[in-house]
Amino acid sequence: MSIFTEKVGMTRRQFLKGSGMLAVAVIVTGVFAKIGFDAFAASDEYIDQRIAGLYTLDEQMAIRKSHENPEIIQIYQDFLSPGEQKYLSEKAHHLLHTKYGKDIPAFIEELNQHRDVA
Amino acid sequence: MLSSIVLSNGIIQVTDKCKACDHCTSICPTHAIKGRLGEKHHIEIRKCINCGQCLINCPFGAINDVSMVDERIIKALKDPNKFVVVQEAPAVRVALGEEFGQAPGTNVKHKMYAALRKLGFDKVYDTEFTADLTITEEGTELIYRVFNALGVPGYEDFGPLPQFTSCCPAWVKYAEDKYPHVLPHISTAKSPQQMFGAISKTYLAEKLGVDPSSIYSVSVMPCTAKKYECDRPEFMVSGFRDVDAVMTTRELAQMIKSAGIDFMSLEDEQADRFIGASTGAATIFGATGGVMEAALRTAYEVLSGETLGKVEFKAVRGRKPVREATVEIPVKALGGKVLPVNVCIVTGTKYVDPVIEDVLAGRSKYHFIEVMNCPGGCINGGGQPIRRDTY
Repeated sequence: MSIFTEKVGMTRRQFLKGSGMLAVAVIVTGVFAKIGFDAFAASDEYIDQRIAGLYTLDEQMAIRKSHENPEIIQIYQDFLSPGEQKYLSEKAHHLLHTKYGKDIPAFIEELNQHRDVA
Repeated sequence: MLSSIVLSNGIIQVTDKCKACDHCTSICPTHAIKGRLGEKHHIEIRKCINCGQCLINCPFGAINDVSMVDERIIKALKDPNKFVVVQEAPAVRVALGEEFGQAPGTNVKHKMYAALRKLGFDKVYDTEFTADLTITEEGTELIYRVFNALGVPGYEDFGPLPQFTSCCPAWVKYAEDKYPHVLPHISTAKSPQQMFGAISKTYLAEKLGVDPSSIYSVSVMPCTAKKYECDRPEFMVSGFRDVDAVMTTRELAQMIKSAGIDFMSLEDEQADRFIGASTGAATIFGATGGVMEAALRTAYEVLSGETLGKVEFKAVRGRKPVREATVEIPVKALGGKVLPVNVCIVTGTKYVDPVIEDVLAGRSKYHFIEVMNCPGGCINGGGQPIRRDTY
């Protein structure tokens, strides 16, 4: 009789049940993974919000270029390069520029001497 | 003395609350945090650049920064002989509100000015003024370096290309510690904080008729490395400490709360005259790519002699750690010849090494490189409000 018994690996019913369960498992995993990823992504959203805040503020400013700042024009005219608009003038170089690394000890020496002269 | 502690031990300290979870060791851009898993970590001072990224990312709040509030700022405010002036960095104004229940990015600049006056500061200025000054100086230096590279006579004294920005004290210390050969490439311009210090005790003293020795210069920064910068020995060009004390955004919020000021109901106020005016170009210094964009706005107009129709350079914006762009600028001094200026923006010192190695090997195509240590720029600095809600 055994010759009439078909050796089917899986019945149609079993297949539907199995694939149904698999589909549910995939959907549930996906949903939880999405919640997880969203929580992770939210962790640095505040950086974008702060950046956006700065760019919005920039758009609201009447003057948006550094060299057009009236007080910048004034400080060069009155103090850094009297009577003209000369960037990197001698005084600007002295007050607003520095040195790095191994040049610092000699630079400090130079500043101290400059003070003695002045 | 606080300044000797700052210079010898640095700004960042790991406290006994450390659970040795190793999160900070993965954040630290210089691998300065040592300690085995399960053992209290410690910071190797030699490598630490005081950026405070470990501090704002520590899940246990176990990392502290040295405070100058009690020992310096409060004392100066109480001293009737001190004329205390204050500057605030661009990134502070869009994050300070978070400590008072506002959404990140809310602009509280005008309330911040009012709160500082209430706290007793004699004059309230703005770091954005010296950010603009940084652009005119650093931008001009870049132009002269380009002229030097092109062989225009008269510019031989200027350094090599590419030029790196010098605004970020964590980046400057990193270069000094690890890549001394790249130092000639870093702009000699001081950072906006230090420019403000120098200007406040010279130009401002002259304008206001105040004795520079009585001026006490305080800054509010989104940054812990700025505390180290203000105590560096070379910053005393005015004959005094250029900047006397630095507090972070968090510390300012704490001061406002302790003084019992109802921050959000303050009336809007403006910054004081002479060194308080700012522009949009200075505002964006707080975001990665901002210094570059501000420099391009000015360099384009100065070099071409034309007025920019559209001031935005959107190509330099974004959050990618390393970005590049090319801007074509017609140069009036060279008969209208179009100069393609290659720029690069790095945010996160972790990513700067390949860029520096290209420069040292002489194969870098860039003219100007902006480096900011903190991911996203100063707005995500080590002195900013800590966002624990995201864990």
